[in-house]
Amino acid sequence: MSADDAHARLADLLSRTAMGDRKAFSELYGATRAKLFAVSLRIVRERPLAEEALQDSFVSIWHHASDYARAKGAPATWMAAIVRNRSLDLVRRARETPDIDDALASQLVDETAAPPREAEARADAHILERCLGELDPEQRQSIALAFYHGLTHSELAAHLRRPLGTVKTHVRRGLLKLRDCIQRARGIA
Amino acid sequence: MRRLNEDLAHRLAAEYVLGTLRGRARARFEALARSDPAVDSIRRRWEEALSPLAERVAGVEPPARVWTRIEERIGAAAPRGAWSSVSFWRSFGLLAGGVASVLLMAFLLTQGTPRGGPEFVAVLVSPTNEARMTIAMQRDGMHIHNVRGWKSVQDAGRALELWAVPKEGTPRSLGLLANTGGDFRVRIAADDARLRDVMAFALSSEPAGGSPTKAPTGPVLCTGMVGTARKV
Repeated sequence: MSADDAHARLADLLSRTAMGDRKAFSELYGATRAKLFAVSLRIVRERPLAEEALQDSFVSIWHHASDYARAKGAPATWMAAIVRNRSLDLVRRARETPDIDDALASQLVDETAAPPREAEARADAHILERCLGELDPEQRQSIALAFYHGLTHSELAAHLRRPLGTVKTHVRRGLLKLRDCIQRARGIA
Repeated sequence: MRRLNEDLAHRLAAEYVLGTLRGRARARFEALARSDPAVDSIRRRWEEALSPLAERVAGVEPPARVWTRIEERIGAAAPRGAWSSVSFWRSFGLLAGGVASVLLMAFLLTQGTPRGGPEFVAVLVSPTNEARMTIAMQRDGMHIHNVRGWKSVQDAGRALELWAVPKEGTPRSLGLLANTGGDFRVRIAADDARLRDVMAFALSSEPAGGSPTKAPTGPVLCTGMVGTARKV
């Protein structure tokens, strides 16, 4: 299935969910649960919490499916944002001290190198790929750690053994560079 | 709430989407994005920009109990305000005007008759904003012009069902329509109970014979808000 087909299928399932179609909602869950569970798991790092995040997110998706239209973007983006937000909320509650697994950090390097899978056909993914490649390694690593593992500035500083101010600057400059690069490529601003 | 300059909005939105904006700053930014469409649109663009990252994560199968709990929690509740929510209709571009309004004007001009125009009219557009059907409530019944048939419906051996969507409550079936282009007259009077407080019309694809549940079950093919035909 191409990215466009997948997009159209999820958009259709969401519009039927908005009308109270339980079968469509169940299909929507089936089509997205594994990826969304993985996204949450990386942020909250404990299965019970990730299960809670996924549950809360889908209850919210059921009630607010009709808002998807307002989001205008890809359905997968809209749903991933809901799951990420819920996961970040839960992790703030649950995690007092950062506990970073170095295996996860090394995995991250693979992720940055791996070609995107489902996103392959999408120009956006290629643009992001290229633009991430233009960042300094420390900027790229900070951004990836924050995105995938939900690390805060202080957690990043502790993990990378760098001063807090330096890490904040890496994140800020990295994002700025990313924006300029994406903007050049397709006009984010 | 004060307005942010664009650079600051971008910085906050980026760190919000990245996840490094936390705690009260996060909540404040959320509130700001809700109240300021310009900020919300910057947030959305950052979400789109970074979302390919999420797609690269290898899937992990959640345990079956998650779905069981979701089903328990949504219970018998229908999604809130689905049929009557503004955003639902906006998804069909109904409030956007554009093509549909132009068509509506053209349609009204051709429908206007010396002995009084239609009671109300609607132009039904597809989710891709293509006008597919017009409905005019005349004294002698409901006049429907179907631009052309739906191939997906025909190929799947399904039926077209027309719905009147009231301001409150669930859609009411107006019956099945032939899946061909052309003009039809349906014997439904303007004072038919099913048309009370009608806000919009919708056409859905249903199993042969019509929806088994008395509510739309299949994909909604096109929808149109009711417009009054007077004073045009």
